[in-house]
Amino acid sequence: MATYIIRRLLGLIPTLFVITVIVFILMHLMPGNAFLALTQNPHIKDAAEVIKRKEAEAGLNLPLWQQYVNWVVNLLHGNLGTSYQYDEPVARLIGFSLPNTLTLAITAEIIVLLAGIPMGLLQASRVNKAFDVSTSFFAVLLYSIPSFVFALFLIYIFSFTLNWLPSFGTVTPAVPWSGDLGDRISHLILPALALALPSIAFYSRLTRGNTLQVIVQDFVRTARSKGLRDSRVLFRHVLRNAIIPIITQFGFDIGGLFSGAVLIEEIFTWPGMGELTVSANLNRDYPVILATTLIFAVTVLIGNLVADILLAIADPRIRYN
Amino acid sequence: MAEPLLKVRNLRTYFISKNSTVKAVDGVDFEVYPGKVLGIVGESGSGKSMTSLSVMRLVPGPQGKIVEGEILLEGQDLLQLSERAMRDVRGNRIGMIFQEPMSALNPVLKIGEQIGEVLVRHRKVTKAQAKKQAVALLRSVGFPRAEQIVDEYPHQLSGGMRQRAMIAMAMACEPSLLIADEPTTALDVTIQAQVLDLMRSLKEQNGTAILLITHDLGVVAQMADDVVVMYGGQVVEAASADEIFDHPLHPYTQALMASIPVIEEERERLQAIPGTVPSAADFPSGCRFAPRCALAEERCHEQMPELREISLAHAVRCLVVQGKTDRRENAT
Ligand SMILES: Nc1ncnc2c1ncn2[C@@H]1O[C@H](COP(=O)(O)OP(=O)(O)OP(=O)(O)O)[C@@H](O)[C@H]1O
Ligand code: SF4
Ligand SMILES: [Mg+2]
Repeated sequence: MATYIIRRLLGLIPTLFVITVIVFILMHLMPGNAFLALTQNPHIKDAAEVIKRKEAEAGLNLPLWQQYVNWVVNLLHGNLGTSYQYDEPVARLIGFSLPNTLTLAITAEIIVLLAGIPMGLLQASRVNKAFDVSTSFFAVLLYSIPSFVFALFLIYIFSFTLNWLPSFGTVTPAVPWSGDLGDRISHLILPALALALPSIAFYSRLTRGNTLQVIVQDFVRTARSKGLRDSRVLFRHVLRNAIIPIITQFGFDIGGLFSGAVLIEEIFTWPGMGELTVSANLNRDYPVILATTLIFAVTVLIGNLVADILLAIADPRIRYN
Repeated sequence: MAEPLLKVRNLRTYFISKNSTVKAVDGVDFEVYPGKVLGIVGESGSGKSMTSLSVMRLVPGPQGKIVEGEILLEGQDLLQLSERAMRDVRGNRIGMIFQEPMSALNPVLKIGEQIGEVLVRHRKVTKAQAKKQAVALLRSVGFPRAEQIVDEYPHQLSGGMRQRAMIAMAMACEPSLLIADEPTTALDVTIQAQVLDLMRSLKEQNGTAILLITHDLGVVAQMADDVVVMYGGQVVEAASADEIFDHPLHPYTQALMASIPVIEEERERLQAIPGTVPSAADFPSGCRFAPRCALAEERCHEQMPELREISLAHAVRCLVVQGKTDRRENAT
């Protein structure tokens, strides 16, 4: 198992190479660069000079391939470079943003699993009864609405109208309880819920469908022929099989939820990777763009790897070799 | 003779939907005696599996329903039990094995757990004790490496091994009745013989009665003490195995006998009788075998024959057949 994981991790390297090269090229194809804004600054008289100097400092006058090699060499030394717009090490910016995004994405994932799977199971065990039909209809509805629409609805209802929950930031500024666990959780609820809702619907559909497929199989009849209680038949025999495609899907979705957080972060002014990425792209902050792209790519690839590993654990018929 | 262990009376199991009623089992009677093997034979679709699932009360719902009848296990009508009480019967007093041992075992649970959970459920043992007993059970069905097998998954075993594991599972609580629905159909001939031998020796050791369902008369000849022949959801002939093989009376039974292939390897689904089993949704009004019967008379198409005892312990559902016709005499 360990060697399998290591081999798979090494296998990620070519993929990451291709992704970063493409991003590198696209990034330089975008018109303008980070320093052109200086010409707009009335206090800088010799803007052209300053820009040239800055560009030289950043190595932007080197050939593109040379810039890429430098970036890779620095990366291998653990150096992600310095942000043009903030004049701060990229690693520090990410060190601040990444935990916020992880908190949001992981909370959303937990909500998705805790709500989606039981919902699907309940629907499957009451198939075509009133509960199933009504919640299934609702689920399809939820699934077809994008997260950011929920975000607006949730803000309107719970912040604006009811004034129960805050709608921006990670903590309440300038109050004694600022930064308490409760304070942080109250800020987390709405963005996490907005991010989770469409996925809850999707996972309940997936669970329902898989469960209905498994429940008619012969081994379920065998389990019942042994006199097992319904709960054991459902959880040990049916769910244990129905869950396999779900956890695979879940692995694939890790990267998706992560990037899905981008829009939600903008709406809730959540200081995460989303905000960092958007501002970096608008300002042509190349080192930050590269670093965030790398992180998004790695999350997707790790998600796929996690999916494969979970599959191998959940399904004894799969052998990793 | 001893009291029957299982006595089925006028069992009717229908699949009822908006636009049709499929009479899968339509008034079936039979008995299984302690320590004896009752073979139920019949072509595909004659209602054998639904009969056995009815005894377990595992007819696939919501359309499948036992609409009438009595299923008396040691005098107690299983159809009157609550679902909860019925769960105490399944796997405990009645064990069941199925045709396809691959799909009948859970692919993602270890063999040991699948055997052990029956014991945990009915014998209230701990998981560790259950595993130990599972090893012993596996050994008793002929696994030399039983300690390893408990930790293996179904896909790691061959078809014959899986069926033996199924038998160990069904026998775990030493049920007084074992229902085996085509237990050897999916296996090749040599493995078939091993599995049948195993069932026979378990029967002799534990005094377990067996309800053996098959369309293979060869298997019936080897195993059964008594035989019930089913056609169109009904019993058309019932007698002891010797009697059935020596004096088959019903035209359908006679046709079945005639269709036994001579060479073992050619044993396949019975299909030598011209015509097909009528659809259980739309039976002919008279004798259900009439469209295919060589002896059919006019009245056969109008009047449904009753199952009547023609001689001692030999019942036939036919209007025409009267007394004994010895098959061997006829053949010469
Ligand atoms: N789920 C179902 N819905 C409707 N009809 C069914 C269903 N299951 C079985 N039947 C019908 O019930 C009848 C008896 O089926 P059963 O499975 O008992 O036959 P069988 O004798 O076991 O045949 P085989 O040798 O193929 O196993 C058949 O006509 C079949 O079409
Ligand atoms: S009743 Fe008539 S049709 Fe039916 S089996 Fe007897 S002879 Fe054949
Ligand atoms: Mg069958």
